[in-house]
Amino acid sequence: MIRFERVSKRYPGGIAALQDVSFEIPDGEMAFLTGHSGAGKSTLLRLILMLERASRGQVIVNGRNLGKTSSRKAPHVRRGIGMIFQDHKLLSERTVFDNVSLPLMIAGMRYPDIRKRVRAALDKVGLLSKERSGPLTLSGGEQQRVGIARAIVGMPPILLADEPTGNLDPELSQDLFNLFRQLNAQGVTVLIASHDLPLIRSMGQRVLVLSRGRLVDDISGAEIRGARP
Amino acid sequence: MSTGGLRSRVRAWGRRQLYSFFSSLGTLYSHRLGTLLTMLVLGIAMLLPLGLYVTVKNLRALDLQHQDWGTISVFMQPGVEADQVHDLSDRIASRHGVAVAAISPEQGMEVFRRASGFGEALTLFDENPLPWVLEVTPQPSPGEDIESVVGPLSDWIGEQEGVELVQADFKWLQRLAGLLALGDAVVTVLSVLFSLAVVVVVANTIRLDVASRVEEIQVLQLVGASNGFIRQPFLYSGFWYGILGALLALVLLSACMWYLARPLGRLLDAYGNTFEISGLGGPEVLLVVVSGALLGLLGAWLAVQRYFRRFRLDGTGVDR
Repeated sequence: MIRFERVSKRYPGGIAALQDVSFEIPDGEMAFLTGHSGAGKSTLLRLILMLERASRGQVIVNGRNLGKTSSRKAPHVRRGIGMIFQDHKLLSERTVFDNVSLPLMIAGMRYPDIRKRVRAALDKVGLLSKERSGPLTLSGGEQQRVGIARAIVGMPPILLADEPTGNLDPELSQDLFNLFRQLNAQGVTVLIASHDLPLIRSMGQRVLVLSRGRLVDDISGAEIRGARP
Repeated sequence: MSTGGLRSRVRAWGRRQLYSFFSSLGTLYSHRLGTLLTMLVLGIAMLLPLGLYVTVKNLRALDLQHQDWGTISVFMQPGVEADQVHDLSDRIASRHGVAVAAISPEQGMEVFRRASGFGEALTLFDENPLPWVLEVTPQPSPGEDIESVVGPLSDWIGEQEGVELVQADFKWLQRLAGLLALGDAVVTVLSVLFSLAVVVVVANTIRLDVASRVEEIQVLQLVGASNGFIRQPFLYSGFWYGILGALLALVLLSACMWYLARPLGRLLDAYGNTFEISGLGGPEVLLVVVSGALLGLLGAWLAVQRYFRRFRLDGTGVDR
């Protein structure tokens, strides 16, 4: 569950990245976040991940009020969220397997369990055969899928993605979104920031529209599906 | 991924430690040359105070072997009777708990004849010109300053009847004790300075290590690693640097002692001395290694804390 209550974020220097944003994404829902670049999509995701703190208002994630959570507890919050980055954020000197296993290493899981979970996650994104490869030997789409495997390997209740299809061709993007839908069908709450409007429309899910830091539209999945030609 | 119960949390902690442990060893191994150079710098830094410590320790052992050098010679006035001498001897011995040996003029003459080679010349004297002599050997209890024992004792003896002259040649002993005390102080100063150097060298090495792995650290933070988890491998690295530096210092010390042993032995032989130079004992070796490890840990901790202070994930940008 992700809830924003009248959240504003102002950066030093007075730039308002978000203004008075309120919405709630209940458990198990899938939603898209869209808007032009600079509309505040990344800031919104960073607030959920505790990479930023709200200047005003409340951000509540998995039942925890982040404004009242100390920085020391931020790692706890992050462990409950799988984050997928546009630039993948993979460690180039480690194998695919090691990259995906990071969240489980951090959790201190037993190695046999880690191996099982990592292989299951890699299998889900179709990269089991690449577990011993280095990330740099993979294509952009494959690297993105490694990032997804890392995000889901810890089975977090929330999955966030920041422009996950940024560098991918339409076909791969479609595959990726289908993968997100699959994960959502298994009960994971999914929030994807993207400006790929045709693709978003084709998914038939709820869409939050940001413009200059304000939430200007909140279209339900049913409306999207109804409007589809 | 939730952690249920204390036991599983402790186990998870142990597994994370194990992971950090091997990860740090891997890092040191993958940067073999850098590790070796750091180790060398640390080893030499630790060698200097250790070397001086061993030197002072050996000088002190030399001193202990020659406690009898603090003997006080008491020359009696000419014509003092043997009874009076023995009486004084008994009084000194009973009063101060020191060893006293009385040497009669005849015994003195005999020793002199044998030692000086003036045997013939001595026959020219009508009578024995030597006085009675008392050899007083103070036995300071361990840790007691020889000066504080000899000084008052010789003063007291000088006041006794029939005593002509008290000769206590402990000035040079005093100087040696002074030098040894100075040596101890220098060892302390050097230890502190070079401990600082060890901390700084390790901190700088780890700082560079951290700087070269900023990307990795940020990724770890993004996927939920705590500061502790991120700090751990670096702490282990510092720990290894400290231990390896200490071990190298000990090896270098042994090498130096081995190299110096022969010329030093020859020199001491020339003085008719059979002195065996001694190195560090087991507890001292252990102390050196443990200190090295702790200083390394401290250096690493400082370096990582500096990173955490300067790059806080919430507030400063990670991506854009």
